[in-house]
Amino acid sequence: MNDETTTPQPPARRLERSSQNRVLTGVSGGLGRYFGIDPIIFRIGFVVSLFLGGFGGLAYLLLSLFVPTDGEPDWAQRFGGRLQRAGFWRGLGMVLLAGLAVAGLFAIAASAALAVGLGWGVPVGIGVIAIGAVLVLTAFRGGRARWLIGPAVALVAGAGVAAAADLDLRGGIGEREYNPVSAQAIPSGGYKLGVGHLVVDLRGIDWQKAEGVNLKVRLGTGQADVFVPESVCVSGPTHVGVGESEVAGERNDGIDIDHTAGVGSSAQPRLDIDARVDIGQLRVVNSDTAQVDNPGYGPGPFHEDTAPQRAAEAKACAKG
Amino acid sequence: MREGMRFDLVSLASGAAVAALGALVLLDSAGAIDLTLGWIAVALTAGLGLILVVSGLAGDGAPRHD
Repeated sequence: MNDETTTPQPPARRLERSSQNRVLTGVSGGLGRYFGIDPIIFRIGFVVSLFLGGFGGLAYLLLSLFVPTDGEPDWAQRFGGRLQRAGFWRGLGMVLLAGLAVAGLFAIAASAALAVGLGWGVPVGIGVIAIGAVLVLTAFRGGRARWLIGPAVALVAGAGVAAAADLDLRGGIGEREYNPVSAQAIPSGGYKLGVGHLVVDLRGIDWQKAEGVNLKVRLGTGQADVFVPESVCVSGPTHVGVGESEVAGERNDGIDIDHTAGVGSSAQPRLDIDARVDIGQLRVVNSDTAQVDNPGYGPGPFHEDTAPQRAAEAKACAKG
Repeated sequence: MREGMRFDLVSLASGAAVAALGALVLLDSAGAIDLTLGWIAVALTAGLGLILVVSGLAGDGAPRHD
C-alpha cells in the first residue's frame, strides 16, 4: 500500500487506477482523481455496497481488471490483459473456471470440517499428514504433486478450524425444544444437538421446590437458548467457540468466549449451568416475559438493552 | 520451476507445513493437546505465509513482463 493521502486532486482526462493513492488496487483513487472527488467517498461506497448485494465488489473487481493503472502494470492489469487477449468467451470461461476452483476449495474445507465434527478428526489428521508426506517426497522428483498444495491447504484449514472449535455435530440436526417441568425431568447428560436451534425452557419448573437445578447444554453449530425465571440465579461456566454469548444479560462476541456466571454466589433458587456452543449463539435468558418464538426479550428486537437481565441476575444471586 | 531441476522447494515447504498442521489436528482430535481458535489461526497463517514466501523466492507466480 502506498501513500494514503485523501486530498482531492485535479480531474484527469483519462480514467486510470491510481498507483499512489491506493488501498487495494487504486480504483477509488483513480475514480476520485477522474471526477475530482475525495476517493474516500468511493471507498465508502464500495464497502457499503458489499453489504447490499455485493454489486460494488463485482464492479470493483471489473474496474481493477480492465482499467489500467497509471504506474507499472500490477497483477490486476496483467490478469485483465490476459483475459482481453483471450477473447470474451474464453475469458469468461477462465473466470468461471477460477470461480469453480475457489468453490471446490471451499467444498473441501467444509467437508473436512464436517468430518472432524462427526468425530473423524484422527483419520482426517492422519490423512493430512500423509498428503504432506507425499508433497515432501515428490519435492525430490520435481514437484509432481504440486497440484495437491491448494486442496491440502483447504483440507487442513477446514479440519483445523473444526478441531480447534471442538465442533461436534453428532447430536443430530434440526430444531429441538425442551420444556422440563421438574429438575428430575432433565436428563443427567443434559441436552445435545449437532446443528440447529436448541431451546430449553426451564420456566415450567417449580423453583421453590427444585432450588438447585443442573443443566448441561451442548451444541455444535447454531443457536442455543435457555430460559429461566428472573428470580433464578444463573451460575456456572459457558463457552462459545465462535459467535455470540449472552448469559443473564452479559453479552460477548468473538472467538473462544468463556464466561462464568454467578461467581461466588450460593443463592437459591439457582441454575448450575454447563453450556457449550462450538459455532453460533448461546443465550441464557433470565426473563419471565421473554417468548421462545421471539428472539428478543418480550417486545423489541434481539439487540435491545440487556440491563434488566443483568439487574435481575445481580438481585437473584445476591440472595441467601 | 526451471526445466531440468529435480528438486522443488515449494513442494517441500508446502508438504512440511501441511504435515505440521495435520499433526496439530491429529493431536487435538486425539485429546493430546487443546487447540484454540486463536492458535489455529496463527498456525494456519504461518503455514500459508511460509508457502507463499517460498513460492515467491522460488520465482513462481505471475510473469514479470506483460
